[in-house]
Amino acid sequence: MRRMIFGTAALVALATAATAGQAAAQTTLQLVEVITSPQRTEHLETMIDAFEAANPEVTVEVTSLPWGQAFEKLATMVQAGQVPDVVEMPDRWLSLYANNNRLVNLERYIADWPEAQNLTQAALDFGSVIPGEIHEIPYGFYLRAMFWNKKLFEEAGIDGPPETMAEFMETSKTISELPGKSGYCLRGGPGATNGYIMWALNFLGENRYFDEEGNSTLDSPDAVEGFKFITELYQNGYAPRDSVNWGFNEIVAGFYSGTCAMLDQDPDALIAIAERMPEEDFAVAPMPIGPKGKSFPTIGYAGWAMFEEAQDKDAAWKLIQHLSSPEMNLEWSKFVGVIPIYQGAEQDPFFQKPQFEGWFTELEGEAWEPTSMPTYLEEFGYFADVLSIQSGQEALLGQRTPEDVAGEWAAYLTDAYQKWQAAQ
Amino acid sequence: MASGAVAATRGQGAVRRSGRLSVILEPWIYLSPALVLLALVMFVPLIVGFTYAFQDIRLLSPFSRGWVSTEHFETLLFSDRVFRTALVNTAWWTFGSVALQFFLGLGLALLLNRAFLGKRFVQAVVFLPWAVPTFLSGLTFAWLLNPVIGPIPHWLFALGILEEPYNILGNPSIAMWGPIIANVWFGIPFFAITLLAAMQAIPNEMYESAAIDGASAWQRFAHVTLPYIAPMIAITVLLRTIWISNFADLIIVMTNGGPANATQILPSYIFTTAYRKLDFGYASAVAMVLLLLLFVYAILLHQLRKTFRSTA
Repeated sequence: MRRMIFGTAALVALATAATAGQAAAQTTLQLVEVITSPQRTEHLETMIDAFEAANPEVTVEVTSLPWGQAFEKLATMVQAGQVPDVVEMPDRWLSLYANNNRLVNLERYIADWPEAQNLTQAALDFGSVIPGEIHEIPYGFYLRAMFWNKKLFEEAGIDGPPETMAEFMETSKTISELPGKSGYCLRGGPGATNGYIMWALNFLGENRYFDEEGNSTLDSPDAVEGFKFITELYQNGYAPRDSVNWGFNEIVAGFYSGTCAMLDQDPDALIAIAERMPEEDFAVAPMPIGPKGKSFPTIGYAGWAMFEEAQDKDAAWKLIQHLSSPEMNLEWSKFVGVIPIYQGAEQDPFFQKPQFEGWFTELEGEAWEPTSMPTYLEEFGYFADVLSIQSGQEALLGQRTPEDVAGEWAAYLTDAYQKWQAAQ
Repeated sequence: MASGAVAATRGQGAVRRSGRLSVILEPWIYLSPALVLLALVMFVPLIVGFTYAFQDIRLLSPFSRGWVSTEHFETLLFSDRVFRTALVNTAWWTFGSVALQFFLGLGLALLLNRAFLGKRFVQAVVFLPWAVPTFLSGLTFAWLLNPVIGPIPHWLFALGILEEPYNILGNPSIAMWGPIIANVWFGIPFFAITLLAAMQAIPNEMYESAAIDGASAWQRFAHVTLPYIAPMIAITVLLRTIWISNFADLIIVMTNGGPANATQILPSYIFTTAYRKLDFGYASAVAMVLLLLLFVYAILLHQLRKTFRSTA
């Protein structure tokens, strides 16, 4: 079915491409951004203006999709034959589009790109979901670290952020004894998946989602301890009662309003928090370490990819190259709030601030191993957006046991993984 | 000569007959664009949706397609926990919203159905919620109910309704009231507008003669106003019930069906199944059940109206 739709879409695109190609020598590139905010679009456009000034024969048209509906909208556009040339591709859709041969393998372009050797290994690794092929140039990484409210810690008589999971529970408990305050800004609503995965892996002690037989590790007794940890934390009242439904905005608001004292978030939350909290009132620590001496903060990313339908692939690559150049990338990373893709970026004065310490400690420290969730599974989108949220809430609210929920997740992911393996 | 006359009358008859045929056909020809359009936009998708309900159409498993007979419906009825929750929630959501919207809307219409200073202005303001995009009202209510930013939890706490100022959207046993409150706020104007229009069509003499006969205010309402606006009430309640039971926007924006499916209704479940799980077959099966339920409801209400009319 999808093949067929994609096939017709390709035909339509080819037909329109052919007529458009005849009409003008001037190249117009369509760029779709999917994580949109007005300021972000404005910033992207200034970067594109610089590109257009350097390449007068190319015009870039930007289409901005609001993130909430971006997945459906982009899929509809592609199916209808309105395929953009360059697209901002988040990690979790990369596999879907790459595995359906929708994206250009950028390998040969990268080979001729001098800056490529300064990219971090992570940048190259995460752009690839099919061994030996690269389908996007990430523009930065979203890595989890623990924000902590210095004032509340002081009030509760604790001198520093928790280093281990046991200390994390203890600290949450102590802070929750303050009237009207809670220890942890738990995220139980949209986006809760990362938390569950991190706690499970921290107790499991391994950065591994599937064993040799292809079975999910999430229902192993150790991983279940991780789910129990978070359900107990919630049920004991160490997180706000409402947090079972909290998404990004609510946890961030909960943190900067001082309702809860610890928040695990990506660097992009720093922007919202730094606007509302004085810099000396909070800091960012690396994620707490599990009982097996390891911690696995989730890493996420988005980047620039090229659709196969792009008629002028060289121009499209030039645009990607421009957006991914060291200067543009540094500027973009600061603006968007991600960890840059070039080696040595932490030397930039901006990233030298103490607030960034947590993230760079995680990237450099032995105990921390950033983990990328199995977003290459096509079924992962549903797991992250629906299944893990709804049944996770059931576990938090005590309607189901952590074992039961972990079993459901493991079964779902095992099926998806085995399907993926069979297709390789 | 004679045969010529016969031929002529025959000819006339044929003309008349074909004339009659064209008279019969004529309105249908005029209607045909609308009919074709209706068939295209209503019946074709309906039939396609119906056939999807019996097929395996998962976009993520393009190779496992095929007819699965009634498998989806068996799963739905016998083993789908979420479906059952969603079914009960749909009933709660629909009747809670419609009942509150109707009674408050009727009250508002009665208040507005009299002359007072600044009536036009008040009318315009009162109808405003209906013009606010649902997405916006959903977000606004979600923030109003958030204790960090919004005032409502603190008011409810001060009134002793909540034991602490927390977000009711996070409590599975009362979370549904959040979207219902937003929906009531949004939907009152609809009832007020339509019922007010019906009330203004009631001839004033009716009230005058009722007053002369010594009818009290309640009697005037019960024996004059109510019978006059009864048909409008029936049709608006029918329409609103069907709309609201199909109306997932507010829920998607405010709770996305959470926490733990406590606010999951059938339309939001269909949406998630189709566009998140990308399982169009199963989503169509759920949609068919919803369609059937609404169909049965419409027939029941229709019958009810008929009985009322024949007894009246």
